[in-house]
Amino acid sequence: MTSPAVDTRSNPVIQAIRSRRVVRALTDEPVDRVTVEAILDAARWAPTAGNRHLQRFVVTDDPGTLRALRMVSPGMVQRPTAVVAVCVDWEAVAAYGFPRHVTGPYVDVGTALATILLAAHALGVGAGPVSSFSRAAVGAVLRLPPGWTAEVLVCLGYPAPAQLPPFARTRRLTWRDLTTWLPRR
Amino acid sequence: MAGMESPWVLDEDDALDLLAFLVTAARTQVDEAREYGPMRLLMAAHRLAEAMEPRSSPDTRSVIGEDLPRMPALAVPRGDGSEDYVARLDALCASVGALLVHRYAPEEERP
Repeated sequence: MTSPAVDTRSNPVIQAIRSRRVVRALTDEPVDRVTVEAILDAARWAPTAGNRHLQRFVVTDDPGTLRALRMVSPGMVQRPTAVVAVCVDWEAVAAYGFPRHVTGPYVDVGTALATILLAAHALGVGAGPVSSFSRAAVGAVLRLPPGWTAEVLVCLGYPAPAQLPPFARTRRLTWRDLTTWLPRR
Repeated sequence: MAGMESPWVLDEDDALDLLAFLVTAARTQVDEAREYGPMRLLMAAHRLAEAMEPRSSPDTRSVIGEDLPRMPALAVPRGDGSEDYVARLDALCASVGALLVHRYAPEEERP
């Protein structure tokens, strides 16, 4: 239930958050490079721990590279016309003195991902994240520098009229299902 | 038919696509939820079917074009729906079995 004091229905940011969907069926219409770059520019504004920006974006709209990416990404059911790989530069992480197993960079990947999804939605582009892929194979396909790993692939394209059903059907959750309020003392 | 030379239904690119999917799915399965296992195999089956269908025989095409689509590549449902999922998978398996016996051991050729 929404508090009557907070009008979420007319707030464009809240509406964008609520209307965004993972798009898993795309047309073959390419997303032009200017639009992809606008999405990347928005991603640059995603918050990062300590404003360190340890994630990197590797982008391709090359048909052969996209084909190879899909072949090594079992979770990529869509056929994107562009892909943004959100990577972590682990040498940069180490340069800050963080141990290799630190989890903070994954949080930054998440904020970048959420921002990319919202930016794409705002520009009328369909976007879907893929995390089921071989890191080793994707690193080879994208020719990533040593020390970089791809952590999530964001598929971009224009939504097809008919979308695929979700992989798994779950009941719709409310914020209450996900939240524990600690009592005031 | 058994004993007859079968035409190629996949080219090297098709086969490579499936090979890459299977190898990388083996790796991702190490980290994925258990209910995704059957889904990944079904995804591979759908990919294979898509590549095979244009050059397949009418009998095979009827299975991969009609029976397989009835079993979309979904995760095993938790709780409600799991029995229906298994039943649909069993029905697909039965269709594949019927295709195989018709193709390789038709009634008149059985000992």
